[in-house]
Amino acid sequence: MEYAVETFSLTKIFSDWWGRDRVRAVDELNLKVRYNEVFGLLGPNGSGKTTALKMLLGLLYPTKGRAVVLGGNGADPKINARIGFLPEESYLYRYLNARETLDFYGRLFRLPAKVRKMRIEALLDMVGLKAVANRPVGTFSKGMARRIGLAQALINDPDLLILDEPTTGLDPIGTRQIKDLVLELAKRGKTVLLCSHLLADVEDVCDRIAILYGGKIRTAGKVEELLQQTHKTQITTDAISDAAVERIKQIIQEEQAQCDISSPMDKLETFFIKTVSSAEHEALPTSGAVSTTHISSFLAPDVSAKDILDKLVSAPVSPEKAPTPSTTEKVAPVETSETKPDEELLSELSEPTKPAQTRPSVKNEEIKTKPVESQEQPSSRAQAEGAPKNILDQLTKDENTAREQTAESEAGDSGDA
Amino acid sequence: MHSIWAVATNTIKQALRMKIAVVFIILLIVLLPVMGLTTTGDGTLKGRLQTFVSYGLSLTSFLLCLLTIIVSIYSLTSDIDQRQIYTVLTKPIRRYQLLLGKLLGVILLDVALVIGFSAIIYAITIYTPKFSSASEAQRAQADNELFTARIDLTPVEIDITQEVLDTYKKLQASGQLEEMFRGMSRKEIIAQLTNQRKLQRQAAAVGRDLLWEFHNVRPTDPNGSIFIKFKYDVSGISASTVPVYGRWLIGDWQYIRYGIASETGIYDRILPHSIRTFHEIEVSAAVVPKDGHLAVGFLNVPVNKTVVIFSEEPKVLYKADTFTANFIRAALLILLRLIFLSCLGILAAAFLSFPVAVLLSLVIFFTASFSNFFIESFDFLGEDLSNIYRYTIKPVILLMPQFDKFNPTKFLVSGQILSWFLLAKVGIWLVCIKAGLLLLLGLLIFSFREIAKIII
Repeated sequence: MEYAVETFSLTKIFSDWWGRDRVRAVDELNLKVRYNEVFGLLGPNGSGKTTALKMLLGLLYPTKGRAVVLGGNGADPKINARIGFLPEESYLYRYLNARETLDFYGRLFRLPAKVRKMRIEALLDMVGLKAVANRPVGTFSKGMARRIGLAQALINDPDLLILDEPTTGLDPIGTRQIKDLVLELAKRGKTVLLCSHLLADVEDVCDRIAILYGGKIRTAGKVEELLQQTHKTQITTDAISDAAVERIKQIIQEEQAQCDISSPMDKLETFFIKTVSSAEHEALPTSGAVSTTHISSFLAPDVSAKDILDKLVSAPVSPEKAPTPSTTEKVAPVETSETKPDEELLSELSEPTKPAQTRPSVKNEEIKTKPVESQEQPSSRAQAEGAPKNILDQLTKDENTAREQTAESEAGDSGDA
Repeated sequence: MHSIWAVATNTIKQALRMKIAVVFIILLIVLLPVMGLTTTGDGTLKGRLQTFVSYGLSLTSFLLCLLTIIVSIYSLTSDIDQRQIYTVLTKPIRRYQLLLGKLLGVILLDVALVIGFSAIIYAITIYTPKFSSASEAQRAQADNELFTARIDLTPVEIDITQEVLDTYKKLQASGQLEEMFRGMSRKEIIAQLTNQRKLQRQAAAVGRDLLWEFHNVRPTDPNGSIFIKFKYDVSGISASTVPVYGRWLIGDWQYIRYGIASETGIYDRILPHSIRTFHEIEVSAAVVPKDGHLAVGFLNVPVNKTVVIFSEEPKVLYKADTFTANFIRAALLILLRLIFLSCLGILAAAFLSFPVAVLLSLVIFFTASFSNFFIESFDFLGEDLSNIYRYTIKPVILLMPQFDKFNPTKFLVSGQILSWFLLAKVGIWLVCIKAGLLLLLGLLIFSFREIAKIII
């Protein structure tokens, strides 16, 4: 079977009470999602994204056409067992607490009690809700509910993950985490079908996208191919002297091309994450979600639990999807038994908390030039706190100290950047 | 089964944590003991206990019925309205499993509540006499008439159809028919004549006797007692305090009817009883012959100087089981009712929204609670209409359960046995057939309906 999800002229027409056609929500949709790819379904509000997903899962019946999911019918329990689904909002039972919620869904998958318990703890840890695991989810904020929603979609270690607007209501760290998670899962050979209108999310993680309008696919293809500006070249370097800049300008003029030189701005996302993570390292009290430490190892059986901050810093800054840096440590051979990763995880959880990696290997991602390792040493304070060295250090070395202070004094005020 | 169980426990948690069940539970926990302390009934110990059992059990049954309807409907409609069902049905669970899980949850909740509340009622009923200052006679009365489970036998029915038809023909021939029953249909005249004839058979003029025949009188304890329960009135106006005398003959049918010598003794006594209330005569079970063919005779003694009319035929009662066993069966009868209602709720919720489904279920519940009234009121339709009725509404009403026909409190209050046989019959009809059909229909509808609402 070549495709994880394939639809044939999938059409959904909503009719009114008299049976007259009213809305063509999805119109002759031919969607093809390959195995082991991250596919983004984009479109403005009301373009039929959610309707299409619901037809894939058998929550709506197509007026015409059919959908094949993992080689079968999306409403078949056998297929469902391999799917993780996060609907457009996290529809949760308000009266259950976070742990009970995951337990309920785990039981629907007939997971043995031991496996269930281990996965629940790992997922709670991953989505950063361990501290509030005994609070009814009805009292959760939207973003916290979203995290639980994501955790329930992952409890069966799905082959196909269908995410409908996964990042709505999430703070930037949560958003970043979901993106990292998606990339990580893709690396593990899972297929992800993502549906969103937040273009930044899709751009960062998707291999291929389709843009829906009026229930029809307008454009589809690889993100790189669709977005690459083949008539332009971008060069990123460490800060260099003005003289060097002049020399480069000269060369470019000789090529008879235009150029625009400036210090690259950090992404607000990166900056925000840095601010919050330093607050977390100081263990400031919060009643909300805590940024997590690792992707649950049952989802990623052949890597050890890693420090998420490590991943955050090393994640691609450029719009183009870059391979995850080689910080992955191979600690165990790929396990064949299903419960093994969980057991491994349990022992990991029972160990005293691992200190955060103090010296993550920071990589400066770029497109055309080779990465240049920073010469700058992290400040002694950051080292003592175990805070990761941040990308800003390399880019704006003179302002380093000042900016860090600002970030701490105005923690949470993301407008600062 | 695993996923059905998961849904069931979730449903119970929902009912308890969303405080739907809690309201009902608190209400009952407060009301039942209060009722136990405050009820007085007719002043006797038996009357007090009867009132408590009757009201307590009726209230419990009624509130649990409402609770069952609401919980079973809410559990499913809230999942659909609040869309948790999107995340549930995309898990490896079939739709029928979801419904069965909800049903199981509601039934388990009902089982727990029925056990809990009937235990409270039972305990209060049993312990009230111990703290009561009632006289020995009152205690004996309560023991004989309430703390028991008695079989009651009605007399062998005598076929009077032919007699009535003969009278009808006679009247028709003499032309009196039109005069006596102006503007009535033949059916109505026959009904009226039948009633008249029945009353005639239950009236004894001065010096005349009445005789009732009972088959299969088989008391379990030959040293115990049998009871003759009756109520009579007199013709003409009379104060209810003035006692009316009657000579009662109770014993072997062969002897009393035909004078054939009998091994068993005969009960023969003249007793005064007030009119218009039920009385029970306690007779030693030794008078019952081996073949169980018993005669009960009543002679209107001349001292009365008036016609004595029995409001209904006397009954023979004797103990067949304990109060406790009867009480358990009564609680099971309530449970059967609740199971039916939960199936009904699930069916309604499978295709209706919460308020509509509750309304529909309540209409059916009340119709079932007063089914006798509905059936009788339709029976008196005109000839033309009654034909339409017979083929349209009547089958529907017959399909509905008849809660009033098998009212558990009726059995307990009169100390009448609620046999396992009757319970099984109700179980098969109400739960296996009627509720089963409803559930099946609900499963079918739910399996094929589109779950997601229109969100484009």
